[in-house]
Amino acid sequence: MTKHVTTIVAVLMLAGAQAAPAQKNDAPSLSGTWNMGLQGGHVIPVALVLKQEDATLTGTIAMPTQTIGQTVEVRLTGETTKGSITLSGIVENAKESTTITIKGALNEEGIIEGTVAVGSHELPYTAERLKERK
Amino acid sequence: MTPLSRRAVLQGMGAAIALPFLDAMVPVRAATRASSGQITRLVCIEMVHGSAGSAPVGLTKNLWAPAATGRDFDLTPTSLRSLQPFRDHLTIVSNTDVDPANPFTATEIGGDHFRSSAVFLTQAHPKQTQGADLMAGVSLDQLYAGRVGRNTVIPSMQVCIEPVDQGGGCGYGYSCAYTDAISWAAPNRPLPMIRDPRIVFDELFGRIEPGVPEAVRREQLRQQRSILDWVMTSAARLRARLGPTDRARLGDYLEQVREVERRIQVIETRNLSGEERALPESPAGVPDSFGDHVAIMFDLQVLAFAADVTRVVAFKMGRDASNRGYPESGVSGGFHNLSHHGGRDATVLEFARLNAYHVSLIPHLLSRLQSTPDGEGTLLDHTLVLYGSPMGDSNVHNHKRVPFFIVGRAGGALRGGVHLKARNGTPLADVMLGVLHALGLDDLARFGDSEGVFDLKGIVAG
Repeated sequence: MTKHVTTIVAVLMLAGAQAAPAQKNDAPSLSGTWNMGLQGGHVIPVALVLKQEDATLTGTIAMPTQTIGQTVEVRLTGETTKGSITLSGIVENAKESTTITIKGALNEEGIIEGTVAVGSHELPYTAERLKERK
Repeated sequence: MTPLSRRAVLQGMGAAIALPFLDAMVPVRAATRASSGQITRLVCIEMVHGSAGSAPVGLTKNLWAPAATGRDFDLTPTSLRSLQPFRDHLTIVSNTDVDPANPFTATEIGGDHFRSSAVFLTQAHPKQTQGADLMAGVSLDQLYAGRVGRNTVIPSMQVCIEPVDQGGGCGYGYSCAYTDAISWAAPNRPLPMIRDPRIVFDELFGRIEPGVPEAVRREQLRQQRSILDWVMTSAARLRARLGPTDRARLGDYLEQVREVERRIQVIETRNLSGEERALPESPAGVPDSFGDHVAIMFDLQVLAFAADVTRVVAFKMGRDASNRGYPESGVSGGFHNLSHHGGRDATVLEFARLNAYHVSLIPHLLSRLQSTPDGEGTLLDHTLVLYGSPMGDSNVHNHKRVPFFIVGRAGGALRGGVHLKARNGTPLADVMLGVLHALGLDDLARFGDSEGVFDLKGIVAG
């Protein structure tokens, strides 16, 4: 299962977008680094870095590849509307162009919950803000 | 009669074997005590992948730590149940975190398996690098070895079970040194771990005096002769000047050395026979059975302590992300896969059984320590064994509520027979600082990310 999930996430890649539950307009900025746990049969920690300017989101996600310990960075673009987020990106260097779509919403505990879709596969995730330290 | 030197060895054919404590050394020992007190030996054991009891469902079922704190705890549902015969020596510390093992930056996210082992005994956050610019912290065992190891032949020993690969990067931008070493002599100096019992044995007992040709040594090995054969004359000479108690003690000790050596020879013979191996890439001295490998490593540690060749051991029992199976445990499935149990009850329970199996190997060490005389008591009286993991809930790669316990009273510094539950958010480093203080390093004010000193005696009624 682990290999299956990793393969999905790796060989394919990012893209996507859509919204989710409501968030107040004065919701905190989503800018920063998020520790995202992709929940297949196995939780895969992934770095999601976001930058918010008004309703526009840009960022990157470091997706694991089939080689243990290696990741590939995928650029993301999207938007946030009323608390929901939608992001998508295209995996470069894959055999076929693959889109990953991230949907989610910030909950009251400050955690983003949603799904990551890679091609026809969809995985739930939760993402906690990383307290960056030097 | 002149007292026998604590440094006396059996010599012959260029080999030298250190001696256990003997009554004939008493005047020397008394002098040593007067100056420095009874020395506590230290064994630091790291097991990777946290515990089932650190996961939410495992916490509710008390799969690692018992429900009750204080002295009236029940180990039955826990993975620690095999320690029941030693509960009077046992200090369980639960609910502590290893924050330095967490990612501090975006590029560190996901690298937990490749970073955590470097944190276990240093409680320091490793610098993410695959180059020579390694940086972690000085490990607990090395701080202690700096105090008590200077007077022993080997200041400290570092041993492990799984293969290590100290060269190059292991993943997520981390050097394999972070993944494979738990002992750090300096923040930039990890110490290599020895996996092969033969090499450990030779370092402890097979030291060849300068001038002995390597060819002679090889021929002895080829003939499968014992290291004891090399020192027979010296041993006979020593026996003649010992009393009956010392003669028996020396005989028991040498028999134990021989017994361990014989087991290593049996393993080597089997592994060199051409029979199929479960671990075909492993050196001939490494048993295919995990339990046998751990047991022989423990026996070597006890012999090393008995002979005072070393007083400090760091023992890495697993390797992060290893998917090794443990047929002896009765649990099917690989270690890493089970550690990602997905929070499913049945898989969490299977993982707990695996945790229990790993802990069940510790009583072998404790029994051996308990049956080995040391001064007025036994080695167990004068040893502190700590066991833990830098990971908590491995399913989500967190470092909260990590598994940790101590066995031994460190010469009276610890009370034993107690479960201490830390307040939420307590760094494991606080506990490790408490361990260092219990070992006599009470001049240390900080260790890793410690915020204070955890009181290992606790305030417990009864």
